Amino acid sequence: MSSATRALLEVDDLHVSYGRIRALHGVSLAVPEGAVVALIGANGAGKSTLLRAISGILPPRRGAIRFGGKDLVGLPVHQIARRRLIHVPEGRGMLARMTVLENLRVGGFARRDRAGTSGELERIFALFPVLRERREQPAGSLSGGEQQMLAIGRAMMAGPRLLMLDEPSLGLAPLIVREIFRIIPRLTAEGTAVLLVEQNARMALQCAAQAYVLQTGQVVLSGRAADLLASPEVQRAYLGTSEGS
Amino acid sequence: MTVDDRLAFFVFLVADGALAGSIYALVALAFVVVYKASRMINFAVGEWTMLGARTTAAASHTLGLGLAGALGVSCAGMVALALCFNRVVLRPLLRRSLLALIMLTLGVGIFMRGAATVLFAGISPRIASPFPLEPLLIGSVPISTDKVAAAAIALACIAVLSWFFHGSRTGLALRAVASDQQVALAVGIDLHRHFAITWALVGVLSVVAGTLWSFASGGGFGVELLGFKVFPIVILGGLDSLPGTIIAAFAVGILESVVAGYIDPIVGGGFGHVASYLVLIATLFVRPWGLFGRPDVERV
Repeated sequence: MSSATRALLEVDDLHVSYGRIRALHGVSLAVPEGAVVALIGANGAGKSTLLRAISGILPPRRGAIRFGGKDLVGLPVHQIARRRLIHVPEGRGMLARMTVLENLRVGGFARRDRAGTSGELERIFALFPVLRERREQPAGSLSGGEQQMLAIGRAMMAGPRLLMLDEPSLGLAPLIVREIFRIIPRLTAEGTAVLLVEQNARMALQCAAQAYVLQTGQVVLSGRAADLLASPEVQRAYLGTSEGS
Repeated sequence: MTVDDRLAFFVFLVADGALAGSIYALVALAFVVVYKASRMINFAVGEWTMLGARTTAAASHTLGLGLAGALGVSCAGMVALALCFNRVVLRPLLRRSLLALIMLTLGVGIFMRGAATVLFAGISPRIASPFPLEPLLIGSVPISTDKVAAAAIALACIAVLSWFFHGSRTGLALRAVASDQQVALAVGIDLHRHFAITWALVGVLSVVAGTLWSFASGGGFGVELLGFKVFPIVILGGLDSLPGTIIAAFAVGILESVVAGYIDPIVGGGFGHVASYLVLIATLFVRPWGLFGRPDVERV
């Protein structure tokens, strides 16, 4: 592990259990400032568990999570979010009865500056014009793809330093998936780092700089995304199947 | 009775019911804000209102304060009580069963009634009305000035409250908490802080509703019975819809008044109160999510 330059997010020897079931044992991972890091692996490998532990929803049994050099373990969820580490969970977490605009405004709750909030709102509407069109509609009435855009837009409202996206492509048509992945380079251009969890390993590896492969709660492979994309092991286990599904 | 008289009687009943409904709306809102934030059913909402009224009365009698001063003291006291209740009693129980919380509110209600009799022994529950005694005439229908003024204040409070929920940052956060607590946490909203804000609102609403009811009913008796009006209202209104609650409060107030005016003389008193419970039962059969609530349907 390269710990010479300090990464934005550092996870060190993390252990998480659900009751007696061990979900993660000894996961270490780093996300550098402004980088895209992909986390791939089969269903049940522990990818979502890792994100939930980082965002404070699941307490780890052992290990350290540092964000911007500060320890996060034990902090309540809302305080971790206030440090602008934003988690977009699988299933998107819509406030279904509130309007699109209200969902976005809620996303900006953690920041105090009004000007920043309205500027961010304009940027999000420019990225996802459909959200502007539907801003007065209840979020629950949006299509799956639009909800995913809203979920990402809401996370952007906080001005995140790190955005953790859990399966943004889940259940979406390929065209929509491409539109959503198109956003990721724009995020990093603004200095936001992205930790991307995906079943769609090819797309994830194509847009990431670094990647980790998780298998039954452990990191089995890690390195430059391009190298993993070319690795026969990864191709056999993750790319072949993801093409077929 | 001439046709005019009959019409005047009907107008009187509707107006009188609507005036009562405006105060019911405040009590029902105190119930709904708590329900929305934490899914907790506060069976003691009537007792909270009673305590609000008695504190205002006690502040004006024992401290010799004017109405504004008494309201201020009473609000401070009730907000403090509500915050303590939230912090000391509810917060440790939050992760336990909802049923335990509901039973708890029943117990708290009984305790409050007992405590009020001891605490306020010998202090009149009456609150001197600042409004003129002579009734207002609407057409040829006389209506008590107290009731009209109380209703106007209640409506003003409802307007402020709707602005608060839809126009303010804190209101937006409270609605996010009501909608999905996990999402609220994930955007950085402190749940405990917002539960506390909810209970502070309950404290203020209890004082305002209790005091207004004391004016309108001409005495402080039976304020806790206001709690029983709340259940038909919130069921009819759909439990978590603020506009639905307000409309249902007026509907129940008018229904009670009209039914009491026409049917009570035939069946003997008290049918007005029964009527709203008949509506409650009918609602549960036909539209269990209430007239204005929505069944949970959304795209996934």
